[in-house]
Amino acid sequence: MAIISAQKTPARPAPLSDTTVIGWLRINLFSSWINVILTVVSLYIIFVAVKGIWVWGIQDAVWSAETRRECFKISKDGACWAGVLNWMDSIFYGRYPREELWRINIGGLLLVLWMAPLWLPRVKGKVFIGLTTVFLYPFLAGYFFSGGEKGIFMQIMISAAIVCLAANTLHSALGVFANSSLSEFLIRVTGTGKASEKTQRNMLIGLLALALVAVFLWQMSWHLESVTWTKWGGLFLTLVISGIGIASALPGGIILALGRRSKLPVIKVISTTFIELFRSVPLITVLFMATTMFPLFMPDGFVLNKLVQVIIAVCLFNACYMAEVVRAGLQAIPKGQAEGAHTIGLGYWGTMGLIIMPQALKVMIPNIVGSFIGILKDTTLVSIIGLFDILGMLRAISEDVFWRGLHHEPLLFGAGLFFIICFVMSKYSRHLEAKLSTDHKD
Amino acid sequence: MTSTEKQDTAKGQGKLASAASSEVMIQLTKVNKWYGDFHVLKDIDLTVHKGERIVVCGPSGSGKSTLIRCINHLEEHQEGLIVVDGITLDKNLKNIDHIRTEVGMVFQSFNLFPHLTILENLTLGPIWTRKMPKTEAQAIAMKYLERVKIPEQADKFPGQLSGGQQQRVAIARSLCMSPKIMLFDEPTSALDPEMIKEVLDVMVELADTGMTMIVVTHEMGFAKTIADRVIFMDEGDIVEENEPNAFFNNPQHERTKLFLSQIL
Ligand SMILES: Nc1ncnc2c1ncn2[C@@H]1O[C@H](COP(=O)(O)OP(=O)(O)OP(=O)(O)O)[C@@H](O)[C@H]1O
Ligand SMILES: [Mg+2]
Repeated sequence: MAIISAQKTPARPAPLSDTTVIGWLRINLFSSWINVILTVVSLYIIFVAVKGIWVWGIQDAVWSAETRRECFKISKDGACWAGVLNWMDSIFYGRYPREELWRINIGGLLLVLWMAPLWLPRVKGKVFIGLTTVFLYPFLAGYFFSGGEKGIFMQIMISAAIVCLAANTLHSALGVFANSSLSEFLIRVTGTGKASEKTQRNMLIGLLALALVAVFLWQMSWHLESVTWTKWGGLFLTLVISGIGIASALPGGIILALGRRSKLPVIKVISTTFIELFRSVPLITVLFMATTMFPLFMPDGFVLNKLVQVIIAVCLFNACYMAEVVRAGLQAIPKGQAEGAHTIGLGYWGTMGLIIMPQALKVMIPNIVGSFIGILKDTTLVSIIGLFDILGMLRAISEDVFWRGLHHEPLLFGAGLFFIICFVMSKYSRHLEAKLSTDHKD
Repeated sequence: MTSTEKQDTAKGQGKLASAASSEVMIQLTKVNKWYGDFHVLKDIDLTVHKGERIVVCGPSGSGKSTLIRCINHLEEHQEGLIVVDGITLDKNLKNIDHIRTEVGMVFQSFNLFPHLTILENLTLGPIWTRKMPKTEAQAIAMKYLERVKIPEQADKFPGQLSGGQQQRVAIARSLCMSPKIMLFDEPTSALDPEMIKEVLDVMVELADTGMTMIVVTHEMGFAKTIADRVIFMDEGDIVEENEPNAFFNNPQHERTKLFLSQIL
């Protein structure tokens, strides 16, 4: 028997529960007597806790005082934020000479300037910009931070970095505002538009060399005051160590992961041993080993400072962890992808670089960012081996003559700072994931 | 007999024109392959001339895929000699890379690159392995997309296309490398029935252009239309090899008869 429906079924509004706040409340919080009681009790607990924090942290808090004693005098039960505020410079910069702080700020700004094009539309060659950030920026920043006499190698790298930064910035500005690129612009300006490709390339290389020489001569005329690493500290030091750790973890991890999957037994065994060795030891042990045992393996007279040792240890450790993240990502890519790439003639590196890695990295973004956040947080362990990173600085406040015993406020402040940084990172990773998903498979 | 005469006779039989010439494109001599202890390919001898169209069939697990994957070295054979386009396949990576640019392959599972647009899928090979300028590669890609009748999909991603469209893109991707030989490994067996025809049509057109083709398929109608020779494999042996009419109407071997009775 056939069933024929004569009328169209009219659309009805969705049930109350899903669409309104009141509906949601009723279903989730007040559906039964037990739920009502639980809700009321929970609300009361939350109220008490929030009120306590409010009274202690804001209402009764002291914002301006010279010593902890003074804080007590003003308000006995309030937080003493004055101590944190007085130490603010130290929390951010450690014992870095106060009149040289601008160098750190400029260094940070340069990084922003360098990397900003990566987020701008219509800019071509972003991979190149990313690579120069990893390989050239550290030299420039390193010199800004430590200063002193420049060796000839340092001079060359600094000049290259400056030229590169200028070119990047100009290139990006042209991309954003004129939808063009630096090379197109230079070709137009020099009027070589009709010349052969070879002439154009020679002209570009020539201009680049010229800029390099000019910057090289210019940078010989100045140098910065030397600041030894022992003066570095605070959030600045934390960001330097974790920044280098983050920047090197992915390239290092990729190399190690590829090594582990290599068909050559020697490379495979070396990579695997290396990865497993570092992964089976806690970071703090690696740090102790790096600072106490590393010097034993070094040739006589070759002394690395503690900071460099720590940085090397952090880099190796994180590269090994990242290697496993990368390996998992590589395994998620079906074998057919590599075969498809082979059939259009791509070799090992072409297949990896163009087909496998881009897909694997996309899959790995949440894990990669998770590792990055982990690196940032783990870096605070260096305070245990005597570096005054942000955690070291926050604890140093309680040992200051004027602020003796001030523990809670600095640590809370530090926790807040970390939360903000990590939260932004993880939110950004979500955004990136959504933006890069091209599978459209649902 | 010259090739034109041969074409005429072929047409007279109601078949597609065969462009087969005497130039040898693929030569397999006593090829053996094992997976561990399992003997997949047993003393395979096969000669394919330029312009010849070969259809390979046989029961599941008989080694058909393994055979054609050895020809572009996606699988490594352990004994015997494989010569493709005058180049011997050995451990020399240069030779392998070279042969892979000359041999196109289409898989059952398409194997398109999901992170690239259709156009980028097609231009990747020409740009990176043939070192072709981008604009030229794009022009060629559009030409082949038109030939497989989906130029309007150029800017989409593979995940947005139907199976039949994806497989046609995969064929176009191989053709963009202007290969001398095309290998097909069950190109239609992952497709819904209504999409099989659109892919087979493209393959028939390709056969018409005189491309050297080896096709693993169970589409017997298709085999009858385009094949110069049908090869039947079972348990790693080439059991029977004949021109399609004789193969289907008058199979010689017991195993062939059994197989044909099951699928026809
Ligand atoms: N990587 C491998 N390792 C071990 N055995 C394999 C591997 N690949 C294939 N085999 C085996 O080799 C035999 C031949 O496989 P092949 O894929 O060539 O068969 P086929 O004829 O293409 O079958 P089908 O029609 O199912 O695709 C099968 O028995 C299969 O189980
Ligand atoms: Mg198969």
